[in-house]
Amino acid sequence: MADYFQEMGWSPLAEGEAPNHLLHLVRLFIDYNMFEELGETQRLPPPASIEAVNNLPEVSINEEGKQCPVCLKDYEKGSSAVKMPCDHLFHPECIKRWLTKTNSCPLCRHELPTDDENYEAYRKEKIRAKQRVNDIENLHNCMFS
Amino acid sequence: MANIAAQRIKREFKEVIKSEEVAKCAIKLELVNDSFTELKGEIAGPPDTPYEGGNFVLEIKVPETYPFNPPKVRFVTKIWHPNISSVTGAICLDILKDQWAAAMTLRTVLLSLQALLSAAEPDDPQDAVVAKQYKENLEMFESTARHWTNIYAGGPDLNKDFNDKIRKLVEMGVEEHQARVALSSYNWDLERATEQLFS
Ligand SMILES: [Zn+2]
Ligand SMILES: [Zn+2]
Repeated sequence: MADYFQEMGWSPLAEGEAPNHLLHLVRLFIDYNMFEELGETQRLPPPASIEAVNNLPEVSINEEGKQCPVCLKDYEKGSSAVKMPCDHLFHPECIKRWLTKTNSCPLCRHELPTDDENYEAYRKEKIRAKQRVNDIENLHNCMFS
Repeated sequence: MANIAAQRIKREFKEVIKSEEVAKCAIKLELVNDSFTELKGEIAGPPDTPYEGGNFVLEIKVPETYPFNPPKVRFVTKIWHPNISSVTGAICLDILKDQWAAAMTLRTVLLSLQALLSAAEPDDPQDAVVAKQYKENLEMFESTARHWTNIYAGGPDLNKDFNDKIRKLVEMGVEEHQARVALSSYNWDLERATEQLFS
């Protein structure tokens, strides 16, 4: 059995390290569903980091009749498109404008990293919280099935 | 309006016209002006819901920044639903707010609204009174929603009991819609509705 810290997805403080109060607050908010109440979910996640956007590869379009999902225009043959990590393609100007607004793929919501530390902390916590729920479920299934 | 928004609406318009939902009369989209900034949507009430047989009209306003920002949509047809204001028609639906994505279209919006009519989310209400009734007395909620569908959306189910109660209040000088709202809010308890209206 994992120890308490591991089980909670926490790590003990290192020598001289101060607790991260912001992270604790985030954790509290998630555990009590307070983000919803604060209206946090009404807001879009922050823009993608400039670096992540600049590093997106461009590919050239060779087939005809393919559309950019943002403007719904057909690509001109031989023109270039930006490829997201989820393999979805867009006109460079269309996807870049969207990613300056929020960090996810307009088709499948695959998230790019952001430059927003608070959001990154919140996102990591959310993934961990989900993992904890799964762990508890697995444990329950092991014990009762 | 910025060119990209208008051009996209034009393309989408064709997509909706061609779609099989239109062929099945489940959704409809019409232009209100020539500049593609305002449209009229229509959705059919989904089967096996209190909205079945009704036809619901929506006001759709397309912002200049579309599709980078969602369209502004509201119900013009009065409706009794936890996530739609019975007063203003304002809608509480995530894709019209923070869950909007630039690849979504008016067709996805109309289909999502239809799905919302099939599956309300009372924990994320737009209309607190309706949501409370939904949670505490589902049967009462359903007959009330069915009655509103009959009166405002052309639904088939006439509720004689409800209509009689409204008529009583109208005879006392209450405006019909106001009477319907009061009765709907007080689970069709005529005494309590009267009390509230005349207090
Ligand atoms: Zn495009
Ligand atoms: Zn994608």
